[in-house]
Amino acid sequence: MAMKYLDKYPKNLAKSLWIMKPVWTAFKLFCKTVVHRPVTILYPYEKEWIPENYRGRPGLRFDRCVGCGMCVRMCVTQAIKLIEVEDDNGNKVMRPQVNIGRCAFCGYCAEYCPVDAMTVTPEYELAEYTRYDLLYGPRRLHYENTTPGMEVKLEVTLPSDIENGNPERRVFIFDVDKPELTDSKCIGCKKCSKVCPVNAITMVEKGVNDKGKPIIRPEFDNAKCISCKNCVDACPKDALEIKEVL
Amino acid sequence: MPYQSILDFINFADPYENPFTPFMSSNLPYDLCYGLWEIIGGTIAWLIALLFGSNVVSDWLLRDDVTVLFAMILFMLVIFIVAFVVVLLNLWMERKVLGRLMDRRGTMIGLKGFLQCVADGLKTFMKENTIPAKVDKMTYIWCVSLIVGLSCFVACMVPLSNRWYVVNYDTGLIIIMAFYALAPFFILVSGWAQNNKYSLIGGIRAAELMISYEVPMLIIIATTSLLVGSFNINDIVAAQSEIWFIIPMCLGFIVFFFCAIAECERPPFDIAEAETELVEGWQTEYAGMKWGLIMLGDYLRGSVSCGMVAIMFLGGWTIPFIGGTAIPEIIFLIKAWFVFFLMILVRGAIARVRPDQILNLGWKVFMPLAVFNLAIAVLLKIGGFY
Amino acid sequence: MADSLVPVLEAQEKMDTDKMWVIWGPQHPFSHGLWTLKLQIDGEFCVDADPIVGYLHRGWEKETENRDYARIIPMTDRLCYCASMTYSHLYCMTVEKALGIDIPEKAKYIRIVADEVCRIQSHLMWLAAVGTDMGNLTVFLWAMREREYFLDLNVKLCGARMTTNYPRIGGVRNDITELFDRDILRAVDRFEKAMWDIIYLIDDSSVFVSRMRNISFLTREQCANMGLTGPAMRGCGVDFDIRRDDPYDNYDKVDFEVPVLNKESKVGDTYDRYMIRIEEMFQSCDIIRQAVAKIRAIGKNAPYRIKTPTRVPAGTTFGRLEDPRGESIMYLVSDGTDKPYRLKVRSPIFTNVSCSKVMCEGVRIADVPAVLAQIDMCLGETDR
Repeated sequence: MAMKYLDKYPKNLAKSLWIMKPVWTAFKLFCKTVVHRPVTILYPYEKEWIPENYRGRPGLRFDRCVGCGMCVRMCVTQAIKLIEVEDDNGNKVMRPQVNIGRCAFCGYCAEYCPVDAMTVTPEYELAEYTRYDLLYGPRRLHYENTTPGMEVKLEVTLPSDIENGNPERRVFIFDVDKPELTDSKCIGCKKCSKVCPVNAITMVEKGVNDKGKPIIRPEFDNAKCISCKNCVDACPKDALEIKEVL
Repeated sequence: MPYQSILDFINFADPYENPFTPFMSSNLPYDLCYGLWEIIGGTIAWLIALLFGSNVVSDWLLRDDVTVLFAMILFMLVIFIVAFVVVLLNLWMERKVLGRLMDRRGTMIGLKGFLQCVADGLKTFMKENTIPAKVDKMTYIWCVSLIVGLSCFVACMVPLSNRWYVVNYDTGLIIIMAFYALAPFFILVSGWAQNNKYSLIGGIRAAELMISYEVPMLIIIATTSLLVGSFNINDIVAAQSEIWFIIPMCLGFIVFFFCAIAECERPPFDIAEAETELVEGWQTEYAGMKWGLIMLGDYLRGSVSCGMVAIMFLGGWTIPFIGGTAIPEIIFLIKAWFVFFLMILVRGAIARVRPDQILNLGWKVFMPLAVFNLAIAVLLKIGGFY
Repeated sequence: MADSLVPVLEAQEKMDTDKMWVIWGPQHPFSHGLWTLKLQIDGEFCVDADPIVGYLHRGWEKETENRDYARIIPMTDRLCYCASMTYSHLYCMTVEKALGIDIPEKAKYIRIVADEVCRIQSHLMWLAAVGTDMGNLTVFLWAMREREYFLDLNVKLCGARMTTNYPRIGGVRNDITELFDRDILRAVDRFEKAMWDIIYLIDDSSVFVSRMRNISFLTREQCANMGLTGPAMRGCGVDFDIRRDDPYDNYDKVDFEVPVLNKESKVGDTYDRYMIRIEEMFQSCDIIRQAVAKIRAIGKNAPYRIKTPTRVPAGTTFGRLEDPRGESIMYLVSDGTDKPYRLKVRSPIFTNVSCSKVMCEGVRIADVPAVLAQIDMCLGETDR
């Protein structure tokens, strides 16, 4: 490999003030930009093309969201908070509200959303007159032109798949990591079933204990579970744990 | 009537009759102003007479010497406004050309960006007039007035053609250069008055720049007048009716061009206000309207530099083999703007020169070249070409 | 110090003039960010310098101790706004080392491409700063224009211009997008042609060259003693580049030259330090071409991100990489939880800026911006 620049420079410039080449270079560009247009764009009137996956403000598809709080958990700047709103049927549900003033535009909320309700949007003109206007409620977060390209997929390859010679298989992290119960720690308090956003946990009676009281244990519906870790956090006895499949 | 006082122009009803007049046989802006005042003053006098009948004011307004007085006042305004508009056009051109040079658009507000100058001017005038604590207030304020005033004065002194001028002295070139060289002195003083280290260094740099560039510049002016045999600007332009002085004095042109850039402190010779090391140099403590006026003064001096180059080397308002045209002012301005375009090109293409390099350049390169140019001129004069 | 200055300085000492402290900063046109340079000047000459940093300290290292590993990556972007990709890369690399996992080949090459794009755009930012420090705005705008093309590539790759948040522990955020490989090859080809215009503007102008030549000499020993790293060090004759001498990811599988000047004389001036960076940009183009060819050969469906455990086993890990500005190091102490116990960052600029005293001694005031531009200040990583 040869050096492209160091082979030609430094030139032995004469000690005189030799400035003709830069002046000529500048003049050439001047002529070029007089005939054609300069590279700059007239911003408010013209806008640059931006790709679909541009990370502007977060967007929310209200109907898809289950209110699991994964975006709140992953948000780097704690810009997201769950608030209570009415859905289309008039029921009270928890949905994320984003404070754009704090948002770091990292795209984690879209990336870690288990149901792909959060997306990135190509909207970046977000100036407002007051700080209150910077709060984007769940309805305001809606972006009408959402396309599939704006979803950020968290697809990974399992190391075990690579070892098994199946490297082309991609899995969604939330499809493989499921909560697991340590039976001895569980006290049957039902907290996990209350916090589960998709009602994947049902409390099942499994016989009676020594004192004759029923033993209640959670049972997980893995098809419904989105692996949001709410039950893990809610468990008072640390009986639940996400089992990582590697 | 013999010469009596500085108010002579009142004593002569027609200034062209004054034996000491700096006017020649005709002066276009004066004639325009005279005609204008005849209309305005006549209308006012007529209106007053209409209201009050025959009265003193109307008679006074219609007197010949009063008409001359008001025509003179209008004349001053017209001369300044034209110089001012030329400078605004210079400013606009710098912004647009420099923008295109850098692959951007330059200013875009109104009339292809021309109104941006007006907006900037208004903006600086709206600013609060702040004076920092612990400055020498008297000097601080007066230096701005003197720098700007001298720059305006010099800008008005440059003639646009043989019919558009203020005065036509035999020492015209010398007078312009003398007032031109005064401003850096006040820059030095204001640098001291601001009680700021950046300003002080900037002022000292301006002084050293002036000392080293004034000398080759004056030598070249001497060379030009040696060839012509006169300091009169009209004579200098008339001498170039066949061949521009840029051809016998190409060395002198290069030296004078760079000296002119240095003299009006434009990049790349703007060491007195080098913004990377001395925040804004000697202008650091000036803000608002004062700063705006200083910038205006800078551009006025820039336009004077271009005018001087056009007069001394590019044949002023004449075109070779054609001579004078119907609009010599425009010819002259086009030449001056071309020189300014070259200045912008140099500004855009090269970096700021270091102070010691500038001094080396001034004393070791431009000075010998200027003397060499003088020798060539002497030889041409001896050979009888001029 | 240039030999020609010695008699001048001696003569000035005899004159017994007063020395003056001039304080440049924290807000001064020459400082790219918030820092102060105290300069003691004697006439036009600078006799002493004292850099003061810390205006931008925001407790970065402490902040990381309260976050799980994945949520630190966006913070690493904010370390240096010009070279966000390399810092994220360094962090992910360190954590992967701690986890003891090997990431897919494709991810390694994508990281190389992203790193070199980042290096080019960071160097262009530096070139722009050199232009303004020397008093020429044209270089600034032309360099920024070239930089835009690479920022656009960043957008195509990961959706953000500067704070990319692209590398992940175990790979990269997403596979290269459609046509990205074509776009990057075009951009690199275009850049190699367009770059010559800026070079003509600087290297063929004796104003630029004479302002950088023969000022602020640094010897190889001084570089070693002061811990100077990066292009500034290679301009002074030290032949060391982590990409080649301690290769990480797949840098050992691409072929490139490390530009080094003054190997024999072992002493370099400001212009040498300038030239190294220009050549590094051309070498980065070569690296990008090879890496893109490798990515194309690996194929579309190859894995780019593997699943990693959220808990990092207890222990200490040390990762280092060649930042555009020098050698940046991260030192990770993990305690078996999903949050780091301690994460120490060694920033190249923090060390390099401490050389400003040596670099500024004996130069003229007007040279100080030109000399310190070669450090390529970035306060985000310096103060952390």
